[in-house]
Amino acid sequence: MALESLHGVERYQHKWNEVQEEAALPEIGNFTNQYQLMMPPLPKAECQVGEYLVDETGRKMKLNYAHGTTTLGFKFKGGAVLAVDSRATSGQYIGSGNVRKIIEISPYLLGTMAGGAADCTYWNRVLAKQCRIYELRNRERISVAAASKLLANMVYQYKGYGLSMGVMVAGWDKKGAGLYYVDSDGNRMPGNVFSVGSGSLYAYGVLDSGYRWDMTDEEAYELGRRAIYHATHRDAYSGGIVRVYHIKEGGWVRISEQDSKDLHYAYAEGKTTTQ
Amino acid sequence: MQSRMVELETRNQDPQGDHGPQERNYILSLHDVLMKKSILNYNGGCVVAMKGKNCVAIACDLRFGVQAQTISTDFKRVFELGPHLYIGLPGLATDTQTVLQRLQFRIKMYEMREGRRLKPHTLMAMMQNLLYERRFGPYFVEPVIAGLDPNTKEPYICALDLIGCACEPADFVVSGTCSESLYGMCETTWQEDMEPEDLFECISQSLVNAFDRDALSGWGAVVHIIEQDKVTTRTLKCRQD
Amino acid sequence: MAVEMAMEPDYMRDPRKHHFSPYMENGGTSIAIAGDDFVMIASDTRLTRGFNILSRNQEKVLRLTPHTMMASSGCWADVLTLSKVLQDRITMYSHEHNESMPTTAVAQMLSTMLYWRRFFPYYVANILAGLDEQGKGVVATGASVAQIQPLLDNQVAALNMKGATPPKMTKDLARQLIHDAFISAAERDINTGDGIIIHTITKEGKTEEMVKLRRD
Repeated sequence: MALESLHGVERYQHKWNEVQEEAALPEIGNFTNQYQLMMPPLPKAECQVGEYLVDETGRKMKLNYAHGTTTLGFKFKGGAVLAVDSRATSGQYIGSGNVRKIIEISPYLLGTMAGGAADCTYWNRVLAKQCRIYELRNRERISVAAASKLLANMVYQYKGYGLSMGVMVAGWDKKGAGLYYVDSDGNRMPGNVFSVGSGSLYAYGVLDSGYRWDMTDEEAYELGRRAIYHATHRDAYSGGIVRVYHIKEGGWVRISEQDSKDLHYAYAEGKTTTQ
Repeated sequence: MQSRMVELETRNQDPQGDHGPQERNYILSLHDVLMKKSILNYNGGCVVAMKGKNCVAIACDLRFGVQAQTISTDFKRVFELGPHLYIGLPGLATDTQTVLQRLQFRIKMYEMREGRRLKPHTLMAMMQNLLYERRFGPYFVEPVIAGLDPNTKEPYICALDLIGCACEPADFVVSGTCSESLYGMCETTWQEDMEPEDLFECISQSLVNAFDRDALSGWGAVVHIIEQDKVTTRTLKCRQD
Repeated sequence: MAVEMAMEPDYMRDPRKHHFSPYMENGGTSIAIAGDDFVMIASDTRLTRGFNILSRNQEKVLRLTPHTMMASSGCWADVLTLSKVLQDRITMYSHEHNESMPTTAVAQMLSTMLYWRRFFPYYVANILAGLDEQGKGVVATGASVAQIQPLLDNQVAALNMKGATPPKMTKDLARQLIHDAFISAAERDINTGDGIIIHTITKEGKTEEMVKLRRD
């Protein structure tokens, strides 16, 4: 065949194309380009999944896990602390009680999940890849600001298509601890204290009343833990295990993973710390 | 069977004792109560009742919430209506209270007029009447009745839907926001002719594991085991999230 | 009067909205239990459409690689398409790498493939079970999750059992649990019944067992 084409003979060329076309695999576009997702043969407004997710009888069909959540993050003198719950619900049914809502992007970067679980895991994975590529290209770690901006730009491409995510990106770079809030509307902002999810109001209540810049590490962990615990108690869609992470100069450290049932009865006994 | 449930409190009582109306005070904030199908799930909560050998059990969770927000965790939705006679009223909390009060009134009228105790089966008929009166604007409760017949001491359980269609099976009845999970649990754990202690273990494990998979119910549980000579009420230690 | 109404030209009538509903719920329930040296994955064999039974012996477990299987339920048309594409990709992988695809890799690939259709999803609930990720986890999926999952929580993970540690999972215990769970589900869920096919994957190979369920 190669000799034929070298000589300009195209006898079987059209046949060969046909065979190739037939053997072709169905395209999975995001294997080669992660930013590219399939668009349905529908107008843009219909692309919001959930709107047309009805069966023949018109019954709404369940989709989209993990809409309820409590996550929080704050910066303090000793770095940054992230704390999350672990419940995933679809409707009122608890799909899972031990989800990992803190995603380990790199040894120096963490992301939290709130909103659609699939959206958060997928885009955080893409972000992890981009951060690693940045590191290899530039021989230095990516800054938290840059990482969060990468994520914000990615999801901004799909603004209006119904992605649902509220993410905190936290990490350590040259400027010290960094904490950014990014969501699927395209918002991106730095800050000292954030809480995201259906239980965030309860978490803010505890967090704001106990927050000081010059906390010790132990105080900071306990504050995060307590805020999440109180949110799991009040919010029906938050619960399970309370996970706490600390980000400091050497990267992130996993501090604790405790069942909120144990926490409840420990706090009820009047214990002020649970470690 | 060895008991594995953690109890917070156990109370035995004489079923012939005082049965005056219990005083309750709940503050209900008036949210926009939209009339949609989820109204039965607005406050959350569930009830289950089971037959055993010469005994019955009825249990409920303790959550009172407004959709996602948990307001209180000591809202009992199973009520004592007489010796050996209990009713569970899961559904919209305001209707739980209204139905209970109207029912208590009717029971008193009945017992005064008839001069005898109400049978569980009669309570079921009374409940059907009360609910069907509101056929086109129903109370959003799906009651569960459990008791022993005052004459024959025969165990009795029954469940009604919100407009009074009764169902009297031989094994167990469930109602409330996690009824599917309760069915699954009860269907595997329930056995014929359980002794009171086994019945307690069975109903507790069924209830607790079922509502642990439901966001809108839980936060504690109360179990009543009704026997001929005593009623045992236990409060269970549960997850609080 | 009625005739007049019918004679009204279409531009006089109210606009009618047509909904695009490409999905169908075909039921199906699956359970997977992992032990120390085995995985068991089972699904019922009933395929439904509303109140109709389309098939009483449609297996829902797909053999992907010699040590990986997947149970899928939901919209059957989507299950067929997804499994075809997945099979192709796995074959491609094995040709390219000259080894069968590890379970973890299949899991990640499946996740990416499902997200490709983020805006027009496959309506499919999947359980992937395989040998090189030996967790103690158990999962149920499909029509009767709500009935089955609390039982597995209680019996496998020993939740709400004072002083009890999760039992050591043996093949006999897992088989018994799966059977009990399906009996309960078939009792109360119209989308589940007819039979179960239980697959066991061990280092030595795969075995298959058919168990009958109620057929009404």
